[in-house]
Amino acid sequence: MGLLEKFLQIDRRWIFLAIAIAVVVPFFLPMGLPVVVTKPVRDLYNAVDAIPPNSEPLFISVDYAPSTIPELDPMTLAVLRHAFSKDIRVVALTLDPAGYGLAERALESVAREYGKERNKDYVYLGFQPGIAAVVLGMGTDIKGVFPEDAYGTPLSEIPMMDGIRNYDQIPLLITMASSGVIEAWVIYAHQPYGARIGAGVTAVMATDYYPFLDTGQLVGLLGGMRGAAEYEELIKHPDAGVRGMDSQSVIHVLIIVLIVLGNIAYFGSKKRSQEAKEPAA
Amino acid sequence: MRTHSPLVGLALILALCAPVFGAEGETAPPAPGENAPPDPVTLLSARDYLDNNDNGDKIEVTWCLSADDGGGAGDVLEYRIRRSSGPGVAGEVVGTVPAGTTSFLDEGVEPGEAYYYDVAAFDGGSESAPAETGPVTGRRNFFQTSRLPVLVLAALFFAMVLTFTRLAQRGANLFVRRIPGLTAVEEAVGRATEMGRPVLYVPGIGEIDDIQTIASLTILSHVAKITAEYETPLIVPTARSVVMSAAEEVVKEAYAEAGHPDNYSPDNIRYLSDAQFAFAGAVSGIMLRERPAANLYLGAFWAESLLFAETGFETKAIQVAGTANVSQLPFFVTACDYTLIGEELYAASAYLSKEPKLLGSLKGSDWMKVVSIGIMVLGIVLSLFGVTGFAGWFFTQ
Amino acid sequence: MQVTLIWATLAAILTLAVYSFLYKDNPFYKFAEHLVVGVSAAYYLVIYYYNFIDPNVISPIFKLEFGGAPIRILGMQWWMALIPGLLGLLLYARFFPKIGWVSRWALGIYVGGYSGLEIAPVMQARVLDQIRGGSLPLVVPHDPSTSFTNILLVVGLLGTLTYFFFSLKHKGVLGVLARIGIVYIMVGFGASFGYTVMSRISLLIGRVDFLRQVADSWIQWLAT
Repeated sequence: MGLLEKFLQIDRRWIFLAIAIAVVVPFFLPMGLPVVVTKPVRDLYNAVDAIPPNSEPLFISVDYAPSTIPELDPMTLAVLRHAFSKDIRVVALTLDPAGYGLAERALESVAREYGKERNKDYVYLGFQPGIAAVVLGMGTDIKGVFPEDAYGTPLSEIPMMDGIRNYDQIPLLITMASSGVIEAWVIYAHQPYGARIGAGVTAVMATDYYPFLDTGQLVGLLGGMRGAAEYEELIKHPDAGVRGMDSQSVIHVLIIVLIVLGNIAYFGSKKRSQEAKEPAA
Repeated sequence: MRTHSPLVGLALILALCAPVFGAEGETAPPAPGENAPPDPVTLLSARDYLDNNDNGDKIEVTWCLSADDGGGAGDVLEYRIRRSSGPGVAGEVVGTVPAGTTSFLDEGVEPGEAYYYDVAAFDGGSESAPAETGPVTGRRNFFQTSRLPVLVLAALFFAMVLTFTRLAQRGANLFVRRIPGLTAVEEAVGRATEMGRPVLYVPGIGEIDDIQTIASLTILSHVAKITAEYETPLIVPTARSVVMSAAEEVVKEAYAEAGHPDNYSPDNIRYLSDAQFAFAGAVSGIMLRERPAANLYLGAFWAESLLFAETGFETKAIQVAGTANVSQLPFFVTACDYTLIGEELYAASAYLSKEPKLLGSLKGSDWMKVVSIGIMVLGIVLSLFGVTGFAGWFFTQ
Repeated sequence: MQVTLIWATLAAILTLAVYSFLYKDNPFYKFAEHLVVGVSAAYYLVIYYYNFIDPNVISPIFKLEFGGAPIRILGMQWWMALIPGLLGLLLYARFFPKIGWVSRWALGIYVGGYSGLEIAPVMQARVLDQIRGGSLPLVVPHDPSTSFTNILLVVGLLGTLTYFFFSLKHKGVLGVLARIGIVYIMVGFGASFGYTVMSRISLLIGRVDFLRQVADSWIQWLAT
């Protein structure tokens, strides 16, 4: 069997081993590869940056489950760090029951870093069931949908929420979503009420939402761990996103090499078998 | 008698007329607050503010400027707008606007509640007598005129779907081109028959009300008729119990219609697991143990799609897939011999079943595409001539 | 020893057990798989009860609350939440052949309600705004790169729409446009595939990072 055929028959466990090495080694030998920021991420960063400090709050909806933590947690933390470093107030909520603990954890850890106080600098509204009903209800009256925060304090008693009735008073709402919830925000918040929506999604879903970006239905888009790394680069606070980029780059190069070799082997062996079938001249 | 000098008389006349002729500079202007308050505003009115996203929480207050606005005694500095819940009730100041302004938008009123407004001119020391108006109530718009394009296009779409459905019900021959993927499905079943091995048909992991599952079951009926005729075993694993019962009915009926009701084996329609990856593992197990020669994946799939396609590829089965979940299509395209992309799945089920509603909606959406293309092309052509209003009409924000 | 370290270590062991499948199917993998299926079934049962059934059905009926707070709809009575609850139960009638037809009422209301809620916004978001987005000027003065991008986008859009046109055969001009369309679709799939590979690799990187953090914690604990 020729080399090409041998390559096509390679035991896939060797490939798994190569990928495992490619993931692990950069953690111990960081290369510090540069992270180039793309337009969708920069647009979202600029939108957050434009919010005046200590005024109307940025809303963040943590709509993901633990299975997508590696991709969406870093972007949530990065956006929170950006907001708190600029004294932008934050209101967090979640439409996914599994996201309740994730939102609380992210909010409290970053608030501690920046010395922010609950109900003074940030509010956590918690979870409400009924995705479309919640998004639509917020367009009329936020306090009708979330009468209390996650800890039982009525919203009317939180000074930070004074005057925040509906989307008209929200400068930007960012949804970190691992499911189709993001469509609910665009369809039920942006379309009827003109709410400004930004999104952070897993890389699998990112291509589905580029059309929304082009038409202005989304202000900006963070796609996967790469999007988180780019945002961390912009706020000059590298964390899990940037840390994973070395491994990501190495594995992508490895995959490209394997694809190219595989294609050469496939077409080469096909040509060889065709030549073998042709009768001798 | 001696008369006064004419100069004295002239001075006396001037002094008496000075107020009439408004001789400025003759006397020092009165200090603010010492004089009378400014004149009130006139023609004050308040109305429900109409805008695209009006929730009934905005009221617009308009007036004509005070006579003292812009020069004269008691120059107006600003206007103060007060809101109260009853006539003559002392209201709270909800806004101030500088002199020269004739309107104010009060945002944040409660929809459906009656309010009274008064506007007073303020000159830095005193306020004019307030002019009052009311009651006025904020109301939610019944119809958002900015959404008219949505109504027009939705109505057009419904009209087309209903028309085509009606035509199909009356027996009109509605042409739908043959989907190449269907030929691939029939070839796959044929090959399995030649090799004497079963056909595996996975109708996706969607619920019974998922339109993809319904389309898949229509195609299953067609496949079941072929396997009934060729006496090829047909295995249908499902991830939802309700889909299993629907699949049982579909296959049983198909075998009866094909004239081979005894070949139907209910053990081959299997409910495996609701959990996504447990289902994937179980189906992979079926592929490895029972070695079907044809694998058909038609319906709603998510991340398990690649697991199916990879395992099936390993067993060298011929594979045909179809799903409308765009994110899974690349995996199927890579690992399967043929893929029905997105709407081709629905077109295939309409083509096979000739069911009027399926045909009607397929034709309706087809012609909706024509309308969309027409609007876009028109918009593009007009923009070449600098006319952007046409495309702008579709901008509903 | 910190309790969190024990749980984190357990999670790390289960991660490695699942990854052992890459070498060969083995009892450790089977154990981990069965454990996750069982635990997630129970977990979601509790989540669904406390986050869907209780706030939407039980609380409105027995406590006149919705989502843990008093309902503010004037005139709301306890039995008003009973109706949707009963409709939900009717959906299960399909398991009993004699009364199975009753489930169609509930399904009809559910499907009809959601369709009505979705048709206008989806028509706007998915059709109108995309039509507007596709009506691009083909020639932008003094900006050849945007002009080129616009032309590419419009050609791809028309080609892709033509590919999914089923009322006419793909012959002649239509055939050419459809072929262009399928090329664009395949390029799009390639991009989507690449993004998905990136996503799966990111999840792997996340797990490896987690394993590294657990190892770090152990090293620190052993050093103290």
